[in-house]
Order: sequence, then structure tokens, then C-alpha cells
Amino acid sequence: MIITTTGFIEGRPVQEYLGIINAQSIIGANIFKDILGGLRDVFGGRSKTYEKVIEQAKSDALRELAEKAQGVGANAIIGVDLDFETIGGNASMLMVIASGTAVRI
Amino acid sequence: MKTWFGHFTSEAHAESVEATVLIYDKIIAIGYRDADASNQTLHWDIKDVEANFDVPSQSTQIRKRNEPAKRLHIEGRAALQYLQELQAEQNKPWHKKDKTKDKVKYLLGFLGVIGFFVGLYFLLVPWLAEKMAATVSVSTEEKMGNAVFDAMRLSSEEDRPASAIINEFFQAMKVPTEYNIHITVVKSDVVNAFALPGGNIVVYSGLLQQIKTYPELAALLSHEFTHVNNRHSTRSIFRQLGSRIFLSLIFGRFSSVTSVMIDQADRFKSLTYSRALEKEADLDGLAILRERDIDPEGFAELFQHLKGAAPASSSPEFLNSHPDIDKRVAYIRQASRNSKVSNNETLQAIFEKLNDK
Repeated sequence: MIITTTGFIEGRPVQEYLGIINAQSIIGANIFKDILGGLRDVFGGRSKTYEKVIEQAKSDALRELAEKAQGVGANAIIGVDLDFETIGGNASMLMVIASGTAVRI
Repeated sequence: MKTWFGHFTSEAHAESVEATVLIYDKIIAIGYRDADASNQTLHWDIKDVEANFDVPSQSTQIRKRNEPAKRLHIEGRAALQYLQELQAEQNKPWHKKDKTKDKVKYLLGFLGVIGFFVGLYFLLVPWLAEKMAATVSVSTEEKMGNAVFDAMRLSSEEDRPASAIINEFFQAMKVPTEYNIHITVVKSDVVNAFALPGGNIVVYSGLLQQIKTYPELAALLSHEFTHVNNRHSTRSIFRQLGSRIFLSLIFGRFSSVTSVMIDQADRFKSLTYSRALEKEADLDGLAILRERDIDPEGFAELFQHLKGAAPASSSPEFLNSHPDIDKRVAYIRQASRNSKVSNNETLQAIFEKLNDK
């Protein structure tokens, strides 16, 4: 399977369009990570804890997107877009939304 | 996750079909179109498959152990290598697996950080607060106390003659201090008294009426005096401020529910401090009495009056800002053993003026 943000795949024209698919992953960093992250906010610098959390959320979202594509019989996803948001009262949960067009090339 | 194109063969198909392959965590997901054009997806567990490199086709061959008829081919070695890495990771004992190592590191790091901050909260912050409280000058305390006193004065009625007598009584006790102690008797049924920073002490007439002997009055005044002289209010303010600032730095970004919990926890801690200060006021006050050969039983009797006035408290001691009355009586009696007592005629005379008026 090819997953790409581009709107087309070089040398492999689209044979079938199978619809728009999307997947989201919402992660709350646990309270330990929140506190460590809070400290990073006080002292400054990169927060590896939160970075790992976002990485995890992104991987999960892309993986789910790929599975959905398999489900509709696609062998590629083009025009993939990743959106990152915070949700929840305190902006404490991280959400990644992956969307794209499932196609058969 | 890694993705590939591959070919899938099974007993259901005459020839192999094109498939999409996703390999991630512990799963291989295979998607293909069936002969009747329906979409199929298969999920295989990594621990249930065996993979090898098929030299003639130069491709990775993957199949399920108990279903040898189903086979997946992927060009090149990359899929084989990736799969083998994942399988090796799976076979490691739990404490060696990548994710677990991370979790243990997190936990230890977190506990270390927590321990450090708990140490700060219980040791450093109070120490700093006490140091800062010590830098507040007597005149600043007086200004603070006077401001509060003036505000309160407006809503209450003073018993001037009684105030004058009480002040005379305290002067006669000759307690050395850098503070200007000024005592005010307020007309009220309340059975209580309190001290403000800087030297103002308020005694409610309700309490005064209960006092029958001069040692009791001496005990009350020396207790309140100790609050002033040992700067209890000021120290409390700095300690509470210090704790609050520290906690909001650390916990600032949490929801209101957590904030309330943290607030209450902090409050328990200040109650402990408050009880400690009350005890200090009792014991240092007792010392003042002993230095003047005044009967320390005055303290015990004073506590009984307070006990009588307050409704039987059903809340346990740790929720109260004052130590439990019976305990107070106990430690006062303990500390006042072997006290020399002699009658102080001056104080007796002044005290009697209260009854005359």
C-alpha cells in the first residue's frame, strides 16, 4: 500500500476512486506525563514526553486509516492530510485526525 | 507501521491476487479483492507466522503455521527483516522489551521528581516562609494589625472601663516585649479572644464574664500575648502564601476538581501548623505565669470555660485549628508540675476592680 500526501502517484494512475476515509486518534497523556510536561513548561526546552505522545497518536491515526483503506478495497491512499488538535476542558487531550482519498492504482 | 504490496495465494484462488500488506505491533493485515470482487481483510498474529526468503522469486514468503495453504509473497528482503525484528522483540522477557524499559524509566523518573517536590513542599518552603516572616518589622506588623482592628472596630461596641482595667492588669504583669500591647474588651456573648499582629488583642465580654480568678485572666492574656510576641499570625500568613504559590506553580494547569483536592490537602497541613502554634501559645504562656509564681491551674480552668461554651464537637482533632481541649489540659498540667505559687496582691486587686464595675 502506498500512503501519500500528494494528490497523485507518479507512474501509477488511479484506476478507481473508493471514497474519502478518515481516522482519528485521541490520546490523553497520563497524569505522570502531564506533571513532567508541566515542569518542562516551567523550566523550558523540548518535552520528549509529549513528543512521544503525539508520535504515538499520529502512528495510530495513520494505521487506522490504512486499515480502513484495506476495508474498502483500496491499495493506496492519496491526498492524506494530518490535523493536530487539543481537546478537552483544559486542552489536555491530543487528537490527530488523518484523512485521505482511498484509491486503487 | 510499514506497508507493502504483495501477492496472496490461498486454496480459494486459482492464482495469486494482488494484496496490500500492513505490518505493525503484533499484526500482519492483508487486504485483497476476491474473485467475486468483494474486499477481504485478514489479520495474522506475528507469533503465529513463519517467514523466509524465497531465493527463486527473490521475495519474502510469509505463511501461517497452522494454515500452510495461505501464503503471502512480498518482493525483496525488507519485509522479512522487519518481521524478524518484531518477532525478536516479542520474544524478549518482559523487562527487556522496548516499551517496558521506557515505562520503568518513566516511573522511576516520576517518583524521583515527586520525592524531590514533596521534600521541597514539606521542608524548604516552610523554612523559607519562616525566614521571610522574620524579616517583617514590628512596625509593619503593627500597621497590618491596626488596619484589621480598625475595620473590626466599626462593627462592634467596646467596653471601655473593662478595657482600661485589663490593660492595667497586663501592665502589672510586667511582661518584657518590643510590642505595644493594647487590649480591647468587646461587648458580646461570644466566649472567645484573639490576637492581631502588632499588639492588638481583643477579648469578648462573654469570655470575661466566665473568668472567676486572676490566674485565669493571666493565663488568657499570656496566651494571646504569645501569639503576638512570637509573631504567629505573620508566620502563618507567610507559610500559607508560600505553600499556595508553590502548589499553583506545580499544579496550575489542572482542572477545578484537582485544584479543590489540592486545596483541601494544603488546608490540612496548615491546620497542623495552626495546632502547633496554639500549643506554643499555651506553653510559652504557661512559662510567663510560672516566672511570676501565678497559679498555672488558671490555664486549665480557662480551657474548661472554652469547652463549656463550645458545642460538643463531633469533628475529629485533625480537622480543628486548635488542639483538643482535653489534650490541652493534659499537657498544661504536665508542664506545670512543681510550680511555685504565691498570691500576687497587685494583680488580685486589679482583677477585683472588674467585679466591682
